[in-house]
Amino acid sequence: MATVTNWIDHLNKPAEEVVGAVYPGAGSSEGILVIIAVILWIGWHILTSKSESEELSRLAKKRHSANDHKSNITDW
Amino acid sequence: MTDQLAALTTIFTEFYYWVTVVLMFLIHVGFCMYEVGASRYKHHQHTLMKNTMLIPLVTVTWFLFGWWIYWAFPTGPGLAPSIMNESTALITDESAFSATWYTATSELMAINLGDHISGVFWAAFLLFSWTAASIVSGAIIERITTFAFGILAIAIGSVFWTIDAAWGWHFDGWMLKLLGYHDAYASGVIHAIAGGFALGVLMVLGPRIGKFSSSGEPRNIGPRNPWLVTVGLFLIYTGFWGFYAACNIPIFDLGPEYGMEGISYWTATNIYVTPTTLSGITFNFLMSLSGGLLAGYWIAKGDPFWTYSSGLAGVICASAGNDLYHPIQSMIIGMIGVVIAYKLHYWVERKFKIDDAVGAVAVHGYAGVVGLIICGFVLWGYPSSGYSVGAMWDGTTYATINPVGQFIGAIIMFVVLGLIPGYVIAKVLHGMGKLRIPREVEIAGLDYEMMEAAKEDEKAVSSATR
Repeated sequence: MATVTNWIDHLNKPAEEVVGAVYPGAGSSEGILVIIAVILWIGWHILTSKSESEELSRLAKKRHSANDHKSNITDW
Repeated sequence: MTDQLAALTTIFTEFYYWVTVVLMFLIHVGFCMYEVGASRYKHHQHTLMKNTMLIPLVTVTWFLFGWWIYWAFPTGPGLAPSIMNESTALITDESAFSATWYTATSELMAINLGDHISGVFWAAFLLFSWTAASIVSGAIIERITTFAFGILAIAIGSVFWTIDAAWGWHFDGWMLKLLGYHDAYASGVIHAIAGGFALGVLMVLGPRIGKFSSSGEPRNIGPRNPWLVTVGLFLIYTGFWGFYAACNIPIFDLGPEYGMEGISYWTATNIYVTPTTLSGITFNFLMSLSGGLLAGYWIAKGDPFWTYSSGLAGVICASAGNDLYHPIQSMIIGMIGVVIAYKLHYWVERKFKIDDAVGAVAVHGYAGVVGLIICGFVLWGYPSSGYSVGAMWDGTTYATINPVGQFIGAIIMFVVLGLIPGYVIAKVLHGMGKLRIPREVEIAGLDYEMMEAAKEDEKAVSSATR
């Protein structure tokens, strides 16, 4: 995966070869990384939307009044 | 980099934008404090989390496609030719500054020893994106779901504002060429669009329970903690310095850039690559802030919430032309914007029963629109760009700044790219049953279960003997 294995050798190359990407997998892994990011991004939305809906419906069923929260204010 | 002067210029520019990003982080800290201060105790934690989570949501989408949109859309597409490739299509060819270099798979979107600028410039624009989404966030507190806000934040932060930036802020944007649009520090490009978007969402979302009496009279809700609100606004002022600096290019040789043979002129420029100075915009930033504060204190009769908000509105109103105004012009423009925004806020609230919890539509939207229109008169005749379109286009060159162009630009920002998309997306989310929290939860408080659990923890700890 390493794009650079020796900085002295790397900087001794012609200028046009020195400049460029130096992250692991440069030039070969970007497409896969983007696909992973998109899957994580969509998955996060699905999971958090589901948990938020469950939380809201659970709380709605309890039908607390507008001032009930005051008994839950902590002193610490 | 092998040339010492070129290296110094490049690394100075890289560091300059990096510092602006750090400063602009304070805008978001300020928005978080401000919203928590404006919300009621039983909604605090959800309000904070809602605004916090826009950071990753907008950042990831800005990386995946938002930045690409900015570089691809200056031509419309189809409205005016690019000065880079003479085409009216999306700019996705191999020309300089093409969007093709800014796809998520590009080697320039990472650590690249040949590119010291893309990342910091990307981040500066990303922080503008967060600001756009945060402006919307404040208006809709205490009744929107976090899911819906996330979708809306992505829409304004990574899609609609970046389209307007491509059209009206990019040096190759069609609005500069056809309309002579000028908006140096984003009265419209950030503020009017975000204010319009917030208004569109509010039209669908509706007011907080209890905001209006049965006869329709508005009631005042908050701010619950005025001191948190004011400190938050102070932090937004502070972050605004970074915002202004990020809208500039710190050092640039305009002679060769404009094609002038044998001429070398090093200067700071605004986002349109026309000359200005950090020194000059410092005058104008502070004088427009002062104008806003003076007018706000007067019209709100010393109310701290509105006085602080008016300082911000004053800067926002003058921002369109703060690269060229005289400081006293900036101050007067800031004052005018505040008076109009304040009056409009209460008129819209009473007339249309719009519950804008923090006055975001007024401070950002109305003040931004007013600022754009005033800019058209005060800067009438100035060039909107130093570049020439040339023979590729019948218009031959960029239009000059003018009142009609600025008025049309304001409509595009506030209504076309702001209000309408906000309204439509909110309608879709409402249709899915995902926009607003249940009535029972709004009454009980979004934080009810968290507070209940904390109380149980407290009881357990206080009764513990070891």
